[in-house]
Amino acid sequence: MVQYYHVCRRELWFMSRGIDIDRQTTNIQRGTHVDKTSYSDSRQSFMIGNRIQLDVLDSGDVMEVKVSSTLETPARMQLLFYLWFLQEIYGIEKDGVLAYPTERKRESVELTSETTERVESTVAGILGVVSQDEPPQLEKKPYCESCLYQDLCWM
Amino acid sequence: MPKPNHHIFADGELSRNEGTLRIDTLDGDTEYLPVESVDSLYLHGQIDFNTRSLGLLNEHNVPLHVFGWKDYYRGSYLPKRGQVSGNTIVEQVRAYDNLERRLQIGHKIIEASIHNMRANLRYYDGRRGNFSSAVNELEELKQTVASTASIDDLRAVEGNARKAYYACFDDILRDPFTLQKREYNPPSNEANAAISFLNSMVYTTSVSAIRKTALDPTVGFVHEPGERRFTLSLDIADIFKPILADRVLFRLVNRQQLSISDFEDELKGSLLTESGRMTVLEAYEKTLDETIEHPRLNRKVSFKTLVQTDVYSLKKHVLTGEPYHATERWW
Ligand code: SF4
Repeated sequence: MVQYYHVCRRELWFMSRGIDIDRQTTNIQRGTHVDKTSYSDSRQSFMIGNRIQLDVLDSGDVMEVKVSSTLETPARMQLLFYLWFLQEIYGIEKDGVLAYPTERKRESVELTSETTERVESTVAGILGVVSQDEPPQLEKKPYCESCLYQDLCWM
Repeated sequence: MPKPNHHIFADGELSRNEGTLRIDTLDGDTEYLPVESVDSLYLHGQIDFNTRSLGLLNEHNVPLHVFGWKDYYRGSYLPKRGQVSGNTIVEQVRAYDNLERRLQIGHKIIEASIHNMRANLRYYDGRRGNFSSAVNELEELKQTVASTASIDDLRAVEGNARKAYYACFDDILRDPFTLQKREYNPPSNEANAAISFLNSMVYTTSVSAIRKTALDPTVGFVHEPGERRFTLSLDIADIFKPILADRVLFRLVNRQQLSISDFEDELKGSLLTESGRMTVLEAYEKTLDETIEHPRLNRKVSFKTLVQTDVYSLKKHVLTGEPYHATERWW
């Protein structure tokens, strides 16, 4: 949800209603593939509350993987959300790593007062979007070209 | 790119061989068909099949359309829904049940249908006859659609449009083909037989497209749900018949790829022979794969995808209230 909120709020709305279209696009498959195959790191996956799956490295950092750095903000916010969630709900303080395996790049991500505020306004924003009766207005985004909902939105 | 359809003409048996479909024909041939590469499977011959083969089609989301000899379309076995969405069905039924919303959707469907008939006539106007008065009549009928306040009135306008449209067929079709009058059960002459067959293909194309969404194929807007067939598929088929069926017929007849010998006379009627059906199907499938640049999607789409996107547009409308764009020929 967090990522969708930052990529496209319309997409978030569609997801929240369980609106789906034929799921065979290459982008989705590519994402899953990179996520499953590009690690030599030892990491473990944890499920939290049945909904959130976290990858935790040996170092203790929480990791989020991105296919490319084009959707950087959404990935960063997703990771910040996990960190925030761990701290708020379980009182566990962690740092995060944002990894771009195809670009051999890593960045660290921390919860500060400024990033905490961003997470909290994101959560409020998500609640606002999903409680609307109609999807947010259609606007052209670069991401539309590769979006699953393209044929729904633009038709 | 959508996957291709697969048609089986032989008589024989359809079975499952692990993850593959196996077709044993009566002449002793065996064919294996990788099920994951098929969009929809069509049976045209006398073919036995069992629940195991249906199970495989189900697993791979492949609809099966069965064609008989005299009544071209027999029925469909649809895979279990991949897309379960109670929400979509509730909204679809709500739209159906609210006369204003139902009419709004019905208007779009019939306007597009008339628009597409008119586009065909304009194409042939001056080439094969003078259709300007029919073109104008269709234009006027299209204008009146928006003011129809009941489904019966809407269907009456559509009926009048079809009459004016079909009246031009005798001039469009090269001799010795004539339509005279559109007649179904049984088709009274060769042109009627070809149209019936092509229309049933457009119908099954719509059935397959609707199955890929969570929309319920039995709840149509222009057609009443009491009818024997999937009424939403009938609605969508009405939009695409001029584009997919009629144009194929005109081309086949006028290029003399289809001749009177591709038909056989039956009691009181006419039917395509097997080789006639193959000729028609080949042209139909080729048309489904033809592509055009789509102005809103900014990419090339095939006609088959166009049917799919039309259904998506309807689904979006039902769920969000955003406008439904029934496909009107723009190219
Ligand atoms: S197609 Fe564009 S507007 Fe529609 S959901 Fe996708 S990104 Fe959002």
